[in-house]
This record gives sequence, structure tokens and C-alpha cells, in this order.
Amino acid sequence: MEDWGIALGKVVFIWVWALLIAVVMTWVERRGSAMMQDRLGPNRAGPLWGLFQPLADGIKLFTKEDVMPDNVKKTLFILGPALFAIPAFSAYAVVPFGDKIVLGGKEIILQVSDVNIGFLYVLALGAIGVYGMVVGGWASNNKFSILGGLRSTAQLISYEVPMGLALLAVVLLYGTFSLREMVLLQEGTFLGFLPNWGIFKQPLGFILFIAAAYAEAGRVPFDLPEAESELVTGYHTEYGSMRLGLYLFGEYVNLGTLSAIMVTIYFGGWHLPYIDMSAFLGPVSYGIASFLVFFLKQAFFLFLFVWIRWTVPRFRYDQLMALGWKKMIPLCLVNLFLTALCVQLTV
Amino acid sequence: MARPVVKREYSFKDAIYLVEIIKGLGITWKHFVRNVKASFRKGPHTVPTCWQYPEDRRPISPVFRGAHMLMLNEEGKELCVGCGMCARACPAKCITVKRGKAGEEDADRYAGKTYCEEFVIDELRCIFCGFCQEACPKGALMLGQGYELAEYSMEACIYDKEKLLANFHEAKEKGILPAPRKKVPVEKPPAKPKPAAAKKAPAGAKAAAGDDKGSAGSASRKAADGKAAPDGGDSGEAAGKA
Repeated sequence: MEDWGIALGKVVFIWVWALLIAVVMTWVERRGSAMMQDRLGPNRAGPLWGLFQPLADGIKLFTKEDVMPDNVKKTLFILGPALFAIPAFSAYAVVPFGDKIVLGGKEIILQVSDVNIGFLYVLALGAIGVYGMVVGGWASNNKFSILGGLRSTAQLISYEVPMGLALLAVVLLYGTFSLREMVLLQEGTFLGFLPNWGIFKQPLGFILFIAAAYAEAGRVPFDLPEAESELVTGYHTEYGSMRLGLYLFGEYVNLGTLSAIMVTIYFGGWHLPYIDMSAFLGPVSYGIASFLVFFLKQAFFLFLFVWIRWTVPRFRYDQLMALGWKKMIPLCLVNLFLTALCVQLTV
Repeated sequence: MARPVVKREYSFKDAIYLVEIIKGLGITWKHFVRNVKASFRKGPHTVPTCWQYPEDRRPISPVFRGAHMLMLNEEGKELCVGCGMCARACPAKCITVKRGKAGEEDADRYAGKTYCEEFVIDELRCIFCGFCQEACPKGALMLGQGYELAEYSMEACIYDKEKLLANFHEAKEKGILPAPRKKVPVEKPPAKPKPAAAKKAPAGAKAAAGDDKGSAGSASRKAADGKAAPDGGDSGEAAGKA
């Protein structure tokens, strides 16, 4: 019974956390982009430079009329946003957002569930999320939507491969599929002076992964599914009110997940470089500190998403395909080979 | 016309994109930091590229042509003599003037012997060209600095004499009265060509007015006399309304 309580607590916590990140991200995106473009952005709602803007947006989306256009495929039209958002949320289940915390004499691992194939689970859910775009685009019965949906399919197929291959090298390196174990393996130093993080062992792998992750999330420079200058807004052109809200929201949840995965696999999860926090912090404060460290790293990657978005222009479609198939996949294979060689020689 | 895609040769540096992306990130970061710093500063108009309108107001030119006002002289007397030159000059035909004779008892109110009984400007039709201001022989009608002219009803946009005088008082309080016009020394043109030019100018109006003295002066006099008749299409200006 007690375990159930703990599990429920963790689920609620991670749920609220994911939502909170997504909400704040909409604000960061709008204000951050404004700052990068010498604008001001929404700064009227609430205190602190319009921090309540997402709330206002949310109220607007909820109270708008829920328009269902004629000739849409109703079931799929309703299913689309859910298919998009649910996998995005679900992926949080295996994210180790901290080490462990002792509450009431019980040691709690800060992870909803330490699945031994957590790694594959994340990859699988990332792929399912794209169905939301495809289904939404198909159901909308609109040229722009379906083009957006088709593009996202093609993009998914091209970029699942390099993503998988880049991560495969990591699996070779750590010899485990469990995300928590991967983080535990990143403690200490590498070559005596670098933090023992995945990025230093897999620099090429990280670059390939981050590019593939951007493509997977449909973010600039790979936002071809919703390229607004070409396709209106692509797969969610016909959507309005909270259905659209769910798409937009799901995108930010997705970003949160991807950032968390990057931190977990390549940036040492909750570890600080050179400092072992558990040595001098109490059990409770260590738990909180490890979560905060993880969160800070995640926040950086979330900001990087915004930063990249307003820096890099969109790829042309053929460039996207050429990059995926002709450059990234060969590089991934090279990376995989080198990793395998190193692992073989050192073990 | 569709043109074939031009194949470019990319160097390795270009082909991996990363170098250029990092350069670009540097540029956006520079802007980001500058603007974030600016928005933390105290005071209005901190972010250099944006004016947050109700709080930040751009300084406007001293010769800005905004809402009209009827000027008073230093003794607080109305300058307007109701000649109607402004109404004649107005290309949008939005000014209506009615002249009245000032009696002895009004000497402290009006600077001239005549005054305007009625002075209405339809700001909805006005194009703010400033011709009325130029036409005014007394410097009595000026375009001020006011540019927030939105109202809830159309009627409120039709400024009567009270509103125009109120505009003056408001500008005076704020100290943004337009400077009185400098007297332009008028060179007396040689006597000969002048009448010819004078005759030519009203020639256009002549056909409609029927009167061969159909000059601006005569039209306004008619207006001042309160002739309600349309006056033979006398340039349709608000004389008819009176």
C-alpha cells in the first residue's frame, strides 16, 4: 500500500513537472524569440514580464469554439492531438530526474519506473508521437495538412535511423538499456580531468543525436511538417481551440523529454562535474539538489531549442533528406564502428 | 518561370553546417543579452527598438500637424475673425465658419471687429494637410501636437469652437503651443502682372459661382451673412450648412 502511495506521488510530481515545463516554455519561446529579434514579446499579462501569458493563452484556447470542419474524418481528427500528446507525456516515466531521496525512513528513487529497457521505451514513444502528426494531417482533409503529415512521416523515417544508430553507440559504451544505470555510470572523471560524461566519450554521437532529436521534435531547422511559410501550419492547419492547444503543448512536452534524454545520456544526469554531492549533503537535501542539478541541465537544453530555432533557417526538403541519408547515417556508422573498436580494445 | 536549381560547390566547412550554426548562435546570443539587459533597466523606453506606446511616447516634431486649435492672443482674446479663408483653402472641405460682428461689449473677447460665431471642423474628413493654418491671415487656426483623436462616436469627432478652444488651453497648459508664425516679408510684385494672375486664380470657381467677383473673400462673406442657400454650388463648402 505504501509503495502505491510513493508511486502515485512520483507520477503526480512528474506530471505536474512536465506540464509546468511546457507552460513556462511557451513563455520562454515567445519572450526569448522576441529578445533575440529585438522585439519585446508579450509582457503585459501578470507580473514579471508577462509570466502569466501562457495562462491567458490557455484560457483563450479552452474557451474558444471547438470547430470541427466539414468532411474531416471525425474519429481520427479527435484522435490526432491525443496521439501526439500522450506519448510525449509517457516518455517522462523513465526519465531519472534525480538520484534518490530519503523520506520517512524510506529510500525513494527519483524516477517513476526504472525499466531495464527504458532506453528503447523512449525511442519507441518518440516514433509513436509522429503518428499524431500524420493522423491529424490525414484526418483534416486539407492539402496543407496532408503535406505536413507526409513530410513528418518521411522525416521520421529518415531520422529514426541516425538517432537509433547514434544511441546504439551509447548502449555499446555503457552496456545497459536502463537510463538510471547509465547516469550512475557517468560519475567521476574521464581521462583524469574531464567529467565522466557521455558527451566526452561520444562527441560525434552527441551532435548526430541532437540533430536527429531536433528533426524528431519537428523543430527548426527541421520543422518541415509545419513550415508556416509553405504549408500554413502544416498538419494542424485545420485545428483550433484546445485541440490545437494539445498539439502545441505536446510539442513542448516533447522538447522536455528530449532535453531530459540528452541530459541523461550525454550530460551526466544529476551529477555535478568534479563534485560528489552525496558526500556532504543530507539524504533529503541531496535528493532535492540532485533534482535541481538535473533540472538546470535540462533547462539549458530547453533554451537551446529556442535559441537554435531563432538562429537557423529551415532546411529545404531535399537538403533535409540528403543530410539524413547521405551524411548522418554514414557518420553514425563510423561512430558506431569506432565505439565498438574502443570498447573491444579497452575491455 | 521555374528555374533549375543551381548546384553549388560546398566546402567541407559549409557542408557540415556546424561552424556557421555556431556563428549564428553567437549573433542571436548577442542580441538576446543586449535586449535582456535593456529590459532590466529602469525607466521608460529601455529596449532600444521598441516604444511601449502608452508608457513611452516618441517625441514628435514641433511642426507636427495634429488636432486643430483656435488660438488666443496674449491678452486672451480670440484671434479668429471668421473670414473663412481656412474653409476656402481646405481640400477636404471639412471646415465651417460663420462670421459674426463683434459689438463694443465684446471688445475684451475678440481681437478683431468680427469673430467666428461658429467654427466647426469635421476631424473625420480632415486630412491634416495644414492648408487652413497657412491660409489663416491672423494665425488663429493652428494644428497642434495632439494625435490621440480616437473617439467612441462620430459626433465627438466633429470639433466645435469650444473643443477647439479647449485644445488651445490644453496645449498651453502643457507648454506645447506652436510658435506664432513669423511674418513673411511679402515682396510687392511688379504691379502689372499681378491683376492678371489674380484674375486667373478664381477663374475655375467663376463658372460655378456665376459672379465675376467669385473670389475667396466674397464666398466667405456670403457664408458670414448666413445665406443658407447652396449658393450656386459655391465650392460646396460648409457655407451651405450654415
